[in-house]
Amino acid sequence: MKAFKYILATALSVILTSCGNFLEVEPRASISDQQTIIDKASSENALRGAYDALRAYYSVNFQSIGYLSGDNIQWTGSQSQVQEFINHRVNAENSTIASVWSGIYTTINRINHVIDKVPAVKDPLLTDAVRNQMVGEAYFLRALAYFDLVRVWGGVPIITKPTSTPDDNRGIARATQEEIYAQVISDLEKAETLLPATTDRYRATRKTVWALKARYYLYQKNHAKAEEFADKVIADATSYKLLKPFNAFFANDVRGSEESVFELFYSINETNSHRGQWQPQQNGGTRQWAPNDALVELLSDPTIGGTRSALVARDNQNRWYGNLYYRSPGTDPTYVIRIAELYLIRAEARAQLGSITEALADLNIIRERAGIAKSLATKQADILLAIENERRLEFALEPHRWFDLVRTGRAESVLKVTDPNKLLLPIPAEQLLADKALKQNPGY
Amino acid sequence: MHFTPKESISFLRYVTPIQMWLAVFLFPFVLLSHQANASEIIILKGKVTDQAGEGLPGVSVQVKGTLRGDLTDAQGNFEISVEQPGDVLVISYVGFVTQEVRTVRQTSFHIKLVPDQKQLNEVVVVGYGTQERKNLIGSISKVDPSDVKQIPAGSFDAQLQGKVAGVQISSNTGVPGESVTVRVRGATSINADNDPLYVVDGVFINSNSLQTVGTGGKATSPIADINPSDIESLEILKDAEATALYGSRGANGVILITTKRGKFNQKARINLNVSQGVAKAAKLWELTTGPEHAQLVNEWWINTGKDTPSLNRNEANRPFRPISEGGRGLPEEQQTYDRLGQVFRTASLKNYDLSVSGGTATTKYYIGGGYNSQESILRPIDFNRASLKFNLDQKISDRVQVGISNTFARTFRNQARAGDGPAGGLLQAALHTPTYLSPYNDNGVLVGRAGFDNVELLLDNYDVKSVSLRYIGNIYAEADILPNLKFRTSWGLDFNNYDENEYWNNLLISGSPDGFATASNGQATTWINEQTLSYRKKFGTKHTFGILVGNTVQSNVMTGTSSTGRGFANNSFKLVSSAATTTGSSNWSKNNLSSFFSRLDYNYDGRYLIDFSIRADGSSSFGADNRWGYFPSVGGAWRVKQEDFLKDVRILSDLKIRASYGVTGNQNGLGSFAALGLWGGGTPYQGAPGIAPQQLANPNLKWERTNQFNVGVDASFFDERIGLEFNVYHKNTSNGLLSIALPATTGFPNYRSNAAEISNKGFELGIRTVNVQGRNFTWNTDFNISRNVNKIERLENPLEYGSRSLILQKEGSPLYSFWVYKQLYVDSQTGNTVYEDVNQDGKITIADRQIMGSIWPKFYGGLNNSFTYKGFDVNAFLSFSYGNKVYNHNKFFGEGGGARDAARIIFASNNDRWQKPGDVTDVPRPDGVNVNNYRDGGSRWLEDGSFIRIRSLTIGYKVPVRKLTALRLYVTGSNLFLITKYTGLDPESSASSAQNEQGIDLGTPPQPRSVQVGINVTL
Repeated sequence: MKAFKYILATALSVILTSCGNFLEVEPRASISDQQTIIDKASSENALRGAYDALRAYYSVNFQSIGYLSGDNIQWTGSQSQVQEFINHRVNAENSTIASVWSGIYTTINRINHVIDKVPAVKDPLLTDAVRNQMVGEAYFLRALAYFDLVRVWGGVPIITKPTSTPDDNRGIARATQEEIYAQVISDLEKAETLLPATTDRYRATRKTVWALKARYYLYQKNHAKAEEFADKVIADATSYKLLKPFNAFFANDVRGSEESVFELFYSINETNSHRGQWQPQQNGGTRQWAPNDALVELLSDPTIGGTRSALVARDNQNRWYGNLYYRSPGTDPTYVIRIAELYLIRAEARAQLGSITEALADLNIIRERAGIAKSLATKQADILLAIENERRLEFALEPHRWFDLVRTGRAESVLKVTDPNKLLLPIPAEQLLADKALKQNPGY
Repeated sequence: MHFTPKESISFLRYVTPIQMWLAVFLFPFVLLSHQANASEIIILKGKVTDQAGEGLPGVSVQVKGTLRGDLTDAQGNFEISVEQPGDVLVISYVGFVTQEVRTVRQTSFHIKLVPDQKQLNEVVVVGYGTQERKNLIGSISKVDPSDVKQIPAGSFDAQLQGKVAGVQISSNTGVPGESVTVRVRGATSINADNDPLYVVDGVFINSNSLQTVGTGGKATSPIADINPSDIESLEILKDAEATALYGSRGANGVILITTKRGKFNQKARINLNVSQGVAKAAKLWELTTGPEHAQLVNEWWINTGKDTPSLNRNEANRPFRPISEGGRGLPEEQQTYDRLGQVFRTASLKNYDLSVSGGTATTKYYIGGGYNSQESILRPIDFNRASLKFNLDQKISDRVQVGISNTFARTFRNQARAGDGPAGGLLQAALHTPTYLSPYNDNGVLVGRAGFDNVELLLDNYDVKSVSLRYIGNIYAEADILPNLKFRTSWGLDFNNYDENEYWNNLLISGSPDGFATASNGQATTWINEQTLSYRKKFGTKHTFGILVGNTVQSNVMTGTSSTGRGFANNSFKLVSSAATTTGSSNWSKNNLSSFFSRLDYNYDGRYLIDFSIRADGSSSFGADNRWGYFPSVGGAWRVKQEDFLKDVRILSDLKIRASYGVTGNQNGLGSFAALGLWGGGTPYQGAPGIAPQQLANPNLKWERTNQFNVGVDASFFDERIGLEFNVYHKNTSNGLLSIALPATTGFPNYRSNAAEISNKGFELGIRTVNVQGRNFTWNTDFNISRNVNKIERLENPLEYGSRSLILQKEGSPLYSFWVYKQLYVDSQTGNTVYEDVNQDGKITIADRQIMGSIWPKFYGGLNNSFTYKGFDVNAFLSFSYGNKVYNHNKFFGEGGGARDAARIIFASNNDRWQKPGDVTDVPRPDGVNVNNYRDGGSRWLEDGSFIRIRSLTIGYKVPVRKLTALRLYVTGSNLFLITKYTGLDPESSASSAQNEQGIDLGTPPQPRSVQVGINVTL
């Protein structure tokens, strides 16, 4: 019975110790949402989390909406949802629009946490200057997020407070397109006053705000303002310049070049999967989509594409592929705003304002950099068309073509999109199911 | 061999089922034998053996009509005295037919006992104990795994298809050792696991794959670490009466695995089993030739040009026009390249098992070693398992026994991506690449086509390996505190170390341009401690009362670390450490469970049986307010046959009516921290850390509760020659764990809640008959058929799963329903598909997608016939499933009408397309991808997956050899034929191991047809 006593004693001690804290298990890779933004370091961490969310929606899916919907890219894979953008028959079930929609609102929630909590953080290390900069960056990111939303869908729900329970931020009807644009400019104004006028190509500064304002006013057809803000950025010639040849801003693993006003940072530990969609199998990609014949023809023409032919290359089966995102591992930056865009914004704004010579000068700066002859257009309409065509090639693999043609009202004549309803994409079907307050865009 | 009462009691509780019954049965004889001191006149000696001549220890030999008797010793010998010649000896032993032998003049006997086919006295393992079948209240199926051991699958669960009523098993793939879908009475949850709980010798083992490398949606099975040859018996607990003692883990049924143990007083027995065989695909897909492919592409081109003039597609610029005109050559000039033949092979199968078992009066042991090697029919995949089993039991005093069970296994796999995904996808490369495309480019270099890898390069350079090291062990001690009161404590451990390495060199897509390697290591550790105290006593002659109380404490920890490397100097460097750039990550989760349970049972006169049980489980995974769950059950049975009014009905051997009701729970698959509001790291920017909201808190998160009601009848007739078991059940699961979609405006995709309700209703019928029981010839039949009707009773919003949202979980429909556009017919004038316009708005939109069937069969089951004739034995087993649907996703791509041009294969079935007015076919004229005729989610590829399959056919012969105890030669064929209307290769194929994406057949090798020969020697 001795043995038995030992056994019993051991067993009982286990039963007793099994009570108490045994059922309290804390995670190690996460923290409680009750104590998140509490000091300088955690404020910085939360802001970086917002940049990370921006990358997550912007770099592949959002950009793909912009370029696939244009007329430069063909689909070569098996996912027909890609083709839907190309032939302008996007279904509400399309998985790309679903992930962009939710990706942008995830970003907005992270931003809202920063805007909501950082001002109240009590930490002697958190000086007003630093605090303002962080909140200013958050406002800039939110402006960019809503700008992206409104460009794709028109009016959307405006969310400006962080979510802390499942009941927050739902059941909110879509605001109008005008209200979204008002939200964008309001955030940009706040960002502009809070941010310092420093140069940082990976983070928002006051200069980044100016650049986005220039784009914003161009979309708003406030050409004077567009010119004014483009001018402010271009004027900083020591920080921003067009690099020569054209591929100098992306070739040879360069990042953070002077061409960039705002680019998203990637490294071997924070990789960009964008290359996988473009690169052929021989380079480890899927070549899910590729430059179409028309684009290849234009880019390959030395008088039209010039040195921009560096954007495309041929694989071992003689198939063309886009080569802007090529690094392995995927450390390619995502170019949000390049100085080239500001020249073309200013050219367009000036052309619209009737400053033909100045407009032409800006356009020809871009053409010259591409190694092609200057444009000799003289009429406003010709210059505007020349700018449109230049943008097509200058940003051949960047997300401008579709948004440009929509904002200029040229989508019908260029892309043969006869149904004006198709200029806005459908609200993702799953969102309509999840929130009855959302209403679908007309025509879907 | 004599038992003292105390010994017999300690012995009774924890030895194997057979021995427990032995002890119970012999108890009276032991008492009686002490009194047998009558005058000795004649001494009789003899030996009792089984049919194979193996001595049986502990057999009761009694003189009929007297109290005199003896038990055989370890070699089966007995010695007994009788008063006069002509006395009759009664030889009885558990599991064998009792024999009577008249003595006359003979004094030496050799008695061979015949195995008993009767079921009533069979001992069945139940939760925390054992029971005789006749006293069972719950619904429990017992399976002898030996019949199906030869079916080439890595894990025993894959071998059990069709064996057990109410248990639906789908193999999913022809790759040995990959996960199998096992559903006991349907599925109860959307987001929590639906797998049953596996308990090996009392240890709750992990059944979730630790695989992290991508093999196209597939996952390895941790159950494959267990050598089926080490399993003595399997009990499947199905209703609430049987499972409620497993509380929060019991909702999906419990599979109790009892491994082999030695026997006390048995001389060492050595068993060797060797088998070898081959396996091959029964058929392969039929593909278009190069010219046929080109013809279809041209047709598509011209058709789309007519449909949409702005595309500027016409006869003149068709893709397959003369090379001189800038085309790819005329259709008839195209070559045809076979790729399937390169990846499929005749696979070899090998299995070796060696075991030694035996025991002394106080010690018994079982030592087993096994090696199993199976190639997949798909190169280069294989599965290899080396296992060691060591079980030991030791009596250390009259009242105390200790023991240990150990399973060690090392499972090595060469893996490959058979399923979905372009990079490295074997079947994608071999099946989905158009046949007209040469594997070489213009420069004579091997290249991958259509976005897939080159098959030859893939086969030469595949390098994905995994090693699973598994230990499952249990150490116990049990003691008789008082007569009838037993205490037992045990510690169990399930430890699994899972090591994976991949290397993709620069010739493969994944490794381009300069090599890619991963190395990862995962560990799953479960420890479990339990104590039970049990008391059983018979009061008077009619009242038997039992009580069991116990507790368990367990902890599960999962950890994983992984690293990747990119950039290798050349293809000879294969480890992450030699890469230019590396990354690393790790994960950790832990979940603790503390439980208390009790069962009370009462048996009145062997006629009325009732029991009540309850388990309380506390889990660390739930919100603080809902940490504890309570799972009660009650069951009763009436053995009608024992009543006076049926006693004399001779044809009826037994009749029992059972009913039970109870509650079980489910928390598996939930995640250890699902109730907490969390922010996570891992959102860095510019090389500095970032944090972000990860999930919203739900302090109310709690168990899924499954209420189950079961009514059953057990009956047998004609001296148990016909046995019937019938069950009807209704399971209702509420508080179903669900990731509820949140509007994206919250910033979260979903949050965990208890929001679904799912029901399963059905019946199970099992019939076993002894058709012929002759001296030389026997024929037994086992048949079972089950029906389960699954339904989502409550789900706020439908959930879409699978490629192209082929699966929709929707309130009112079964889980895993297929969501498709219903093709009515192909218009013989236009060649266009006409779909059902459900909402009759004149156009086909998403609103016209409808549910057309599900993965669930209307009926399923199995039929087993076994025959013996002298030394020969034949076992034929077939399984069937009726009414289940499969989405033939290979065909969806392969019958794409040419619209995918050079990007995809075209199946030969596409040759039957509509070409001109008047053509009657169900294959429309080629138009665009997902335009109309070849629309994503069309019902044309949703097929009837009903089947009847010969799962196995074994013919054996026992060779009479003097020096050996037994020698058996056998040949086994499996999957010898398959009757199905399904046009794919295997209606059980499923591309994904993900719970909500079943029934989609893409890039999956079929279960092979195999033949094996073997030899089994017992010394």
